[in-house]
Amino acid sequence: MQALRTAATGMSAQQLNVEVISNNIANMNTVGFKRQRAEFQDLLYQTMERAGAQSSDQGTIVPTGVQVGAGVKTGSTYRITEQGAMTQTGNKLDMAIQGRGYLQVLMPSGETAYSRAGNLSVNDQGQLVTEDGYQIQPAITIPGDAADITISKSGQVEVSQSGQTSPTVVGNIELATFLNEGGLEAIGDNLFKESGASGPATTGVPGVNGIGTLLQGYTEASNVDAVSEITALIIAQRAYEMNSKVITSADQMLAAANQLKS
Amino acid sequence: MDNALYVGLSRQMTLRHELDIVANNIANADTSGFKVESLMVETQPKAPAMTLDGPKPVKFVMDTGVARDFGQGAIHKTDAPLDLAIEGQGFFKVSTAEGERYTRDGRFRLDDRGRMTTQAGQPVLDEGGGEITLDPDKGAITIASDGAVSQGSERVGKVGVVTFDALSVLEKTGDNLLRNTSNQQAKPASSAQVRQGALEGSNVNSIAEITRMLEVTRAYESMAKMMDSTAELSRRSIERMGRVQ
Repeated sequence: MQALRTAATGMSAQQLNVEVISNNIANMNTVGFKRQRAEFQDLLYQTMERAGAQSSDQGTIVPTGVQVGAGVKTGSTYRITEQGAMTQTGNKLDMAIQGRGYLQVLMPSGETAYSRAGNLSVNDQGQLVTEDGYQIQPAITIPGDAADITISKSGQVEVSQSGQTSPTVVGNIELATFLNEGGLEAIGDNLFKESGASGPATTGVPGVNGIGTLLQGYTEASNVDAVSEITALIIAQRAYEMNSKVITSADQMLAAANQLKS
Repeated sequence: MDNALYVGLSRQMTLRHELDIVANNIANADTSGFKVESLMVETQPKAPAMTLDGPKPVKFVMDTGVARDFGQGAIHKTDAPLDLAIEGQGFFKVSTAEGERYTRDGRFRLDDRGRMTTQAGQPVLDEGGGEITLDPDKGAITIASDGAVSQGSERVGKVGVVTFDALSVLEKTGDNLLRNTSNQQAKPASSAQVRQGALEGSNVNSIAEITRMLEVTRAYESMAKMMDSTAELSRRSIERMGRVQ
């Protein structure tokens, strides 16, 4: 019976939906996290060419055949890259990106990864690194005797050192943008990798050519909205139950057929 | 006597198809732009059934087609700039390898070349049938209710929204797409309005579907019961006839 399999596709789709929602809720307080959405599509349709489609007496062809769908499938899990709220931290090495753009992070493998999480720190050599200790590209070294650090909107990093009247520029942070941000491949640790769907990275100075600007002393909160996630969770749970109800019904019908006395 | 069994069987066959369709509706209750379907049945007017004294008007049940309800689904806000919902009768045009397809699923995005595509990567077409290319660097994307796409003050294209005189020419091909099965040309949908940052849900009414499912199950069971009684009747008559001899 097709209905059994159709309802099973519905249940597995809703299960995936719940998994995506729970990941969003779990990352509600992750800096720079972007919520995801499971997107569903209907599956193939089977057009039944049955004797009944053409009446033998009149020969009138019924214009619409009997088309029965095979259920639902997950088309993709789409990342919604809208801006998260700004949280003030007061930390000199925190920066939030306002608008489009990703920080470039050098992975131990030599590849470049991209991140929206601007909660940076300094390693033992004075280099600007992410939470996990991966270097920011282009590399910026903060001198050990720096009294104050200023990061401008356009990414210029300046330090003031004792004994000097004017601050010294130690580097410029550049941001990478993509034609299709949603197509970036998430690799965990708040990092993304370039993929065929995202298109190649274009790097540039913050604030120029539509690239976002930097805001020192702030981090970008996740863009997860708890209320809408919980609502989505309720809908998913009920949809799951309804699909299981279909399985029960199909089972009852099969039982009725099996109980016929011969 | 056998006719009762065959009539019962014909009803059971249509009920099974109906459950398949209900199951598909429920499975797609959360699919954007999905349109609910139901099975149309009719009595077969002249069934080739024979009895001893000639043809009797035995009425079988047969499924004649699927009725698709193109009614509006609920529109909910998502705030994603490339999520589009159509209010009123109309479809977006999508270019696929097999030709032009139509959809009401407006979950669009940009691909690696900046083209506006569906989630499966098929380009969304403008009024004239061309692709729509956007550059995210040029600023926020605004899509007006007539489908006009602009970035900043520059107009970059217009999302094509079309409709048909008779919607029965459309056939579902899966992936939320519809195919035109006739020579009828699509025409611009004048009454349809495009809403940016919103999606159209399916128009599946869960309560109606669950009720229909219960109806189908019970009808199937009562058919089985009827067939059982018929078989019982013939069994008993055979037993009694044997005794008279």
